[in-house]
Amino acid sequence: MFDWLANPNRFNRITEKIQPCILFITIITLISGLYFGLFDSPKDYQQGDAVRIMYVHVPSAWLASFLYFSLAISCVFYLVWKHPLADLVSSSIAPIGALFSVLTLVTGSLWGKPMWGTWWVWDARLTSMLVLFFFYLGYILLSNAFERKIDGSKTASVLAIVGLINLPIVKFSVDWWHTLHQPASIIKIGGPSIDDKMLLPLILMIFALSFFSLYMIILNVKTKLIEKKCEALLLKSNLEEISKTG
Amino acid sequence: MSLQSSFIQIFISHIKREFLINFRSLVDVTSIISFMILIVTLFVLGIGPFEEKLRLISNAIFWIGLILAIIPSLEKTLQRDYENGWLDQAITSPTPMELVLLSKSLAYWLIVIIPLLISLPLFIVLLNINLKLIPWLLISILVGGLSISLIGIIGSALTLGAKRGNILLPILIIPLIIPILIFGIGISEAVRINESPLNNLFLLIGFTLIYLVISPFISAFLIRIAISR
Repeated sequence: MFDWLANPNRFNRITEKIQPCILFITIITLISGLYFGLFDSPKDYQQGDAVRIMYVHVPSAWLASFLYFSLAISCVFYLVWKHPLADLVSSSIAPIGALFSVLTLVTGSLWGKPMWGTWWVWDARLTSMLVLFFFYLGYILLSNAFERKIDGSKTASVLAIVGLINLPIVKFSVDWWHTLHQPASIIKIGGPSIDDKMLLPLILMIFALSFFSLYMIILNVKTKLIEKKCEALLLKSNLEEISKTG
Repeated sequence: MSLQSSFIQIFISHIKREFLINFRSLVDVTSIISFMILIVTLFVLGIGPFEEKLRLISNAIFWIGLILAIIPSLEKTLQRDYENGWLDQAITSPTPMELVLLSKSLAYWLIVIIPLLISLPLFIVLLNINLKLIPWLLISILVGGLSISLIGIIGSALTLGAKRGNILLPILIIPLIIPILIFGIGISEAVRINESPLNNLFLLIGFTLIYLVISPFISAFLIRIAISR
């Protein structure tokens, strides 16, 4: 499965072509999304201008969860089908996903200051996003914790899959905890009823950030491929030197 | 002899082995209990000796102390066997590694969690825990402790041979055991406000059952990776 993409050269050739398109889509949707979001969308009758944080907050929250899912899926590919490229993909996704979860937490607390009066509230969604960040952190730390890179990526892949099983339970238990300890009185960001004028920039921003992270992931994978090539070349030249002198 | 009965025999002999190793030196259990007392002391020193404040959060202190005290000992469950080569031998034997690991986590549960239960009266006195909570605390520690030891085996297998594994382990383990804390405290809280704690108990049991199924397979997979290095 996906053998046709597992070949690094083919991957390079294909991404060479689609990368400019992705960048183009990112720029177009980002500019239009930001324009509609910041200038051409109504204020919320309760939240005022602070609602505009939503156009960054919601897409990054969505992406943080989605990227963890894709991280775990590519870990499955790495462990089951042993695609070397899948490992590069998952190790490229991890920092971007971690970044998006941090962005969610930061924008959430920026939004919380005018809304709740404090920077941080132990809201169920924020708490589970914090836990998600620690799953990313654990993956990154574990994959760098071994002498040999390959041991780290194998072990960390297992952790990512365990996290995939555990995250829904954590999410559920945090919601459960939250309903036990305090009644749901907090304004929900992006409830079921949302104005069309707000929905348009939101969707545009979701597209923009998704394509942005896709672009960054491809860039990361390519960098790692070049790194590997450099290592191999270095090893080769060292061997040649040894064989000359020895 | 049928395959099934031989599996059971292997299972029991592995548990016996763990018992022998751990009961020759009771250091682990005593250090866990004293660590837990120290955590409780730190909490109380931080809060101040106000009884009404303490009553509100005594359950939380108890559970957090339990989890924090257990975590450092989790790393050693596989480390010693990995270093002295026992795991290499176990993996070449025809016994399935999953069975060995299941017996290991059950043995850990028997050796560490059960003695903790014996020390429960001490914490009830220290933290002024309501007496009607005792049976529920017993059950929730039994069930939650089993899932902590099952997840702990995974964590221990994850950090086998890792650099700074002892620091890494808590970071990997704590996000995984958040549900245990929530359901465990949910049980005590429900009893405190005179509601049925069964909801939380069933959720805790369900969580434990999930890990009872997946933990041996995941940690056996991890050990195969660790041994192949």
